[in-house]
Amino acid sequence: MFITAAAPRDPELESFRQEIRAFCKAEIGPELQKIIDAGQHIPKDMHDAWLKALGRKGWLTGHWAKEHGGLGWTAEQSAVFRDETDGAGAPWLTPFGVTMVGPVIYTFGTPEQKERHLPGIRNNDVWWCQGYSEPGSGSDLASLKTRAVRDGDHYVVNGQKIWTTLAHWADWIFCLVRTDPDAKKQQGISFLLIDMKTPGITVRPLITLDLGHHLNEVFFEDVRVPVENLIGEENKGWDYAKFLLAHERVGVAEIGKFNRYLSQLRKLLDDTREGGRPLSQDPAFRRRIVELETRLSTLKAMHADALAQGTPGLISAAALKIRGSELQQAILQTMTDVLGRHGLAYQADALMAGWNGELVGPQESAGILAEHLHRRAATIYGGSSEIQRNIIAKGALGL
Amino acid sequence: MPAFDAEERKLIHDSATEFFADRYGPERSLALTRDAGPDGFGRAEWKSYAELGWLGLMLPEAAGGSEGGLTEAAILFAAAGGQLAAEPLIPCLVLGAGAVTALGTEAQQGALDGVAEGEKILGFLHYEPGSGYARDHVETIARPTAGGYALTGDKAFSLGAHAADLLAVSARIGGPDGPVGLFLVPGDAAGLHRVPAPAMDGRRGAAASLDGVQVAADALLGGTTDDRLAAIDRLIDRASLATCADMLGAMTRAAEITTDYLKTREQFGQKLASFQVLQHRLVDMRICCEETRAAIHAALNAEDAGAPDAALMAWRAKTVTAQGARFVGGQGVQLHGGMGMTDDLGIGHYYKRLSVGEAMFGDADWHLDRIAAGAPAGETARAAPEPVGA
Repeated sequence: MFITAAAPRDPELESFRQEIRAFCKAEIGPELQKIIDAGQHIPKDMHDAWLKALGRKGWLTGHWAKEHGGLGWTAEQSAVFRDETDGAGAPWLTPFGVTMVGPVIYTFGTPEQKERHLPGIRNNDVWWCQGYSEPGSGSDLASLKTRAVRDGDHYVVNGQKIWTTLAHWADWIFCLVRTDPDAKKQQGISFLLIDMKTPGITVRPLITLDLGHHLNEVFFEDVRVPVENLIGEENKGWDYAKFLLAHERVGVAEIGKFNRYLSQLRKLLDDTREGGRPLSQDPAFRRRIVELETRLSTLKAMHADALAQGTPGLISAAALKIRGSELQQAILQTMTDVLGRHGLAYQADALMAGWNGELVGPQESAGILAEHLHRRAATIYGGSSEIQRNIIAKGALGL
Repeated sequence: MPAFDAEERKLIHDSATEFFADRYGPERSLALTRDAGPDGFGRAEWKSYAELGWLGLMLPEAAGGSEGGLTEAAILFAAAGGQLAAEPLIPCLVLGAGAVTALGTEAQQGALDGVAEGEKILGFLHYEPGSGYARDHVETIARPTAGGYALTGDKAFSLGAHAADLLAVSARIGGPDGPVGLFLVPGDAAGLHRVPAPAMDGRRGAAASLDGVQVAADALLGGTTDDRLAAIDRLIDRASLATCADMLGAMTRAAEITTDYLKTREQFGQKLASFQVLQHRLVDMRICCEETRAAIHAALNAEDAGAPDAALMAWRAKTVTAQGARFVGGQGVQLHGGMGMTDDLGIGHYYKRLSVGEAMFGDADWHLDRIAAGAPAGETARAAPEPVGA
């Protein structure tokens, strides 16, 4: 496709943007702001309070259709919303309920399932997590082995999930489980909703490079799950998972964060001196900043084009994921390069709210280095860069 | 004539490689660096290094050393880096002891006593909050006093500085325009406040502030107020080259670990190592290791021969090493997938070690700028008052 037309700027979108910006400013209290500025881990109660405040405005599920209790936002409005909250450094819009399992439930769930689960997702009364990956099934997700065996009115689940983000906070987990071991890979999989309080579930922390606890392993030992928690039909779970992964891939870019990173980088360059002069005067760093800004501007344009297509095509979704994660790492690497001037001390303890030890180097360095280390996974999670390239190669180029 | 012949070098290589492979590795490194105690490295290991003669490799005979070159030490550092050894070998041997050896008067050489035996650890504080990677920017002042000098200023985070019994500290003598000297300051000197912290890879160090730290006149290395910036620059080049050797060890292991992992990990019914795109990635990682080794060899040869291009070759080596480390470390994590992100697996620790190594003494871009700019920094000698009553 050659040039068609770029999506024009929409003035109404601009006032929507201002509204969200004002809300963030008013709603993020001084205590939370302090934690955000220091790049510290946001405690669950503060995170929860923020998501509930969004829930009260209906914004948490603004992107849902009105018939499901949403506000029927356009894709552009949803993008602006994420842009602004991410840009304000607000707590993460955990996608597991509102963007992942919610749409699966309202698309494929029974009326009872909708009534039971959708309200808790809309107002964040219930924290969800995602049970997809397994130790032997990463990029090759369909090879998953966690078994669910029908026993009367229950499924009995045995197996292990891995990389389960925030499982230690979650009330419920949605899982892909194998219900027919004899069927071909994708065809014996079912989609189950499981209450994390069910006996037989064990959550074990997985500490990552930044020394933070974001991820977990979740073990299932004879976990009895009522059959009414099955989504759709047995052995059709892969279809629902594919529907959901398509949602995830457009969403992982977190472009709003990148503006924030860039202003952090500018401040860091102002505050860091080399030979007594601020690094912001260094021509090489000025060039790097300009290059990063240009890449970000282009990424936003790609994103706008993808949204204008309605359903983003295979190439745009995969390319956005690749370029977005690469840019994220490039900005964070540049910040790390600046912090190299301070000896690359990393006080991970300083990321705990209330820490009052003695800091080495710039105040924001622990937060930045934690993000740098944590986002080494950006080119791995949500379909690695290699897998995204396979998607384009196979799906779009016919290779 | 090199101090050691090829066979002796091979002996160091073999015994060091074996020692670190047997006694060290990511798990041991983790246990030591995460220990709640003040060291964050192995005192027992340090003792072993002494017994094996490694701490004296570069020291003068008078200090119980074997007068080897940087090459011999680099063989040791590469083996140590390959298993993520956490001990402050480079700050102590190349910088601290290197400063005393290069600049110390005959009497000051006594500061080396106990180093080869592992009884004393030396350190080095030069970079400052305002210096960045620039090696000629010193704001710390050594004010002459009745008995010597009083040092005041701030020093940036530096590996190993937390544990040093004796530190070589740079300061401008007399005032902000004075010549830069290196002073020997005991770790427990009054007015020296060290803030210990881990680096990104867990190895420990400290930032420091000096508030009127009193030292005697004979604490000034070399005994005269000549400007020492050029000597400091050379010392840091040597430490930078030593760091390249450490990184080469880490890089090589990271590439090996990743290759081994891809040979065992299966996805889509086949070994990951069977995918050509990943094979080529592994090959590129290996090529990085090969060219890094070559660049380091060339720089070590120039350094130990005292060749006129020794500094230039060290800058090139650091550039090549840092660029190679970024690729190998990054791809090491990437090709491990989610597993590469865990604190449990070794590869992430190699990534972090390589990141810290990249930043130490100037990264690739800084070194390229330096080469482009030409002349070594800090050639300008400045006049300074003699210490009062010296």
